[in-house]
Amino acid sequence: MSEFFWGALPYVAFTFLIVGTAVRYSRDERNWTTKSSEFLAKKSLKYAGPMFHLGLFMAAGGHFIGILIPKFLTDGAGIDEHLYHIIALAGGIPAGLLFFGGFFLLMQRRFSYSKMKVNTSKMDAVLYLILFWAIATGCLATALNATGILGDFNYRETISPWFRSLLMLQPDVSLMENVPLIFKCHMLAWMATAVIFPFTRLVHCLSFPFEYFCRSNIIYRKK
Amino acid sequence: MKIKAQIAMVMNLDKCIGCHTCSITCKNVWTNRAGAEYMYFNNVETKPGVGYPRDWENQEKWKGGWQLDGGELSLKTGSKLERILKLFYHPEQPEMKDYYEPWTYDYETLINSKRKNHQPVARPRSLITQQRMEIKAGPNWDDDLAGGESARKDYNLKKVAADITLEFQDIFMKYLPRNCNHCLNPACVAACPSGAIYKRDEDGVVLVSQDACRGWRHCIPACPYKKIYYNWKTNKAEKCTFCYPRLENGLPTVCTDTCVGRIRYLGVILYDADAVFDAAKTSDEKNIYFNLLDIIKNPHSPEVQAAARAEEISEAWIKAAEVSPVYQIIKDWKLALPLHPEYRTLPMVWYIPPLSPIMKAVEDKVYLPKSDAMRIPLKYLAELFAAGNIEVITKTLQRLLDMRTVMRKKEISEPAPQNLEFEIGEYEKMYRLLGIAKYSERIKLPAGLQGKTHEQLRELQGSAGYVCPGGFC
Repeated sequence: MSEFFWGALPYVAFTFLIVGTAVRYSRDERNWTTKSSEFLAKKSLKYAGPMFHLGLFMAAGGHFIGILIPKFLTDGAGIDEHLYHIIALAGGIPAGLLFFGGFFLLMQRRFSYSKMKVNTSKMDAVLYLILFWAIATGCLATALNATGILGDFNYRETISPWFRSLLMLQPDVSLMENVPLIFKCHMLAWMATAVIFPFTRLVHCLSFPFEYFCRSNIIYRKK
Repeated sequence: MKIKAQIAMVMNLDKCIGCHTCSITCKNVWTNRAGAEYMYFNNVETKPGVGYPRDWENQEKWKGGWQLDGGELSLKTGSKLERILKLFYHPEQPEMKDYYEPWTYDYETLINSKRKNHQPVARPRSLITQQRMEIKAGPNWDDDLAGGESARKDYNLKKVAADITLEFQDIFMKYLPRNCNHCLNPACVAACPSGAIYKRDEDGVVLVSQDACRGWRHCIPACPYKKIYYNWKTNKAEKCTFCYPRLENGLPTVCTDTCVGRIRYLGVILYDADAVFDAAKTSDEKNIYFNLLDIIKNPHSPEVQAAARAEEISEAWIKAAEVSPVYQIIKDWKLALPLHPEYRTLPMVWYIPPLSPIMKAVEDKVYLPKSDAMRIPLKYLAELFAAGNIEVITKTLQRLLDMRTVMRKKEISEPAPQNLEFEIGEYEKMYRLLGIAKYSERIKLPAGLQGKTHEQLRELQGSAGYVCPGGFC
């Protein structure tokens, strides 16, 4: 069973993420959009939108550091376990508050205005549910871990190497054996997010307009 | 000199009767779809008035168009970096209530209602939420001054309000039909983070690629004329297409074709694309109009024609530029002016300013008054069409008055007036083009960009190219 969850399912998720996104981009670019709803309800977006996105960027950065930078590198740099966790929490707590707070405000906005309800598809609703699952398990796991309730569990010795082993295409399922349930739930949440990613509005994150900085103001194009 | 061809439009405001036929035919062709109900690619406003969307001319509020920033041209809405931050929340983006909430009526109740003591009523219902709504405003609720409230909120009047009182005996109005200006220096194109908006090389039409648009919605505040709209259902930007499928077949835009007052002119102009930025960059905004005239090149000049051929502009297009009624009006006779040139986008829809009745204050036995004795204050027209330059407006109106005087003298067999700017024959041509305004003379378009037949185009009728395939939106 653990082979399926931690050895096979992640690759199913990656496949959906990559193949699904490529197919959608090539066959259905007409629907590739941010799905901005500022036009329908502007005032309520003013703080909620930037809060959510800033929290998301901070959380993404934290995950990047926590997962992709191996422990021996930070140890070598003289950052011991205690200091590392203080740094992680100093970034993580505001990130979590912004992310969760922004998400809460956005959901309130989306489901309380009649105009917004009309503009919410079924896929949006599924996405919000999965996002809630991911953010809630992430925040909860971090909180439980930081307060020591989970014992001497260290995700940098279990989950992070496991994830890197996935990327190396040599999944080491044994690393996930003693991971607490809440972290396992969080793992399933990202896999679910990756599976639905190509079918939702999330794709707009791939369209961040970097090329805008390098192009000329006026574009001429032949028919 | 790098010559490009551009389809340009002239509207003769002297003849616009504000009937909204252009808006309605345009709407029926282009924007009667879900998500686009509120859009009018073409709308007609009464000036003075707040317009559609409300207060669109207030660039303090919307930050549309270009500004001079240390001698350099930059978008008023901010630097590229500032605008990347606005991706998450755009403080200047208009919302639906700045336009209006579209509605329909419960017509069914008129048919299905049971026998009652009172007549059944078709009550309004929102086209967005499908719920009952109270109608507060529509896209043209300031038509014909509508009681004068919105006239007093006109943004141009605020600038020159001191001596324009809008007292009843001096009240004035005129109509202003507006569609996308297909500018030479479009701010929407420059503001699009995805590079989805482009100016067509062949005819200068500004289009939004519905595939490349990502719904970052930066074009909407950036266009100072508010002529890009956000489709709340497909979540992409849309705009007036200048009816390009028709243009490609040598047919005029729908608004031009259906104009009952025959006020619209369509034709080709040749302009120098290398000089566009410098023309928009001038420090004195009153000069933008003259710079714009300068970069529009004489299509009869062999030099210009050779440069056009070097850019692979076809003979049909060069020929169309030579007979262009638009060039004649804009350049030869200098009768048309761009709307709000101070936005520095170099618009390619031009307006012949309207003559108007004599003001009460100077009413006497004059048959044709001087231009400054007319009811619409020159100052007001100058705000609209000449960045406040009254001299330009006075001269333009004087040419129209001269034409009338020449034709009147001819009718009553009196000698022609002295000190005219043009030869008598020119005024007669002017009269023919503006007064008689034959369809074939108003519209001179080269055909042939499009290989599709009319039958093939008809198959797409109703979809307008905006259909949303798949099920993701």
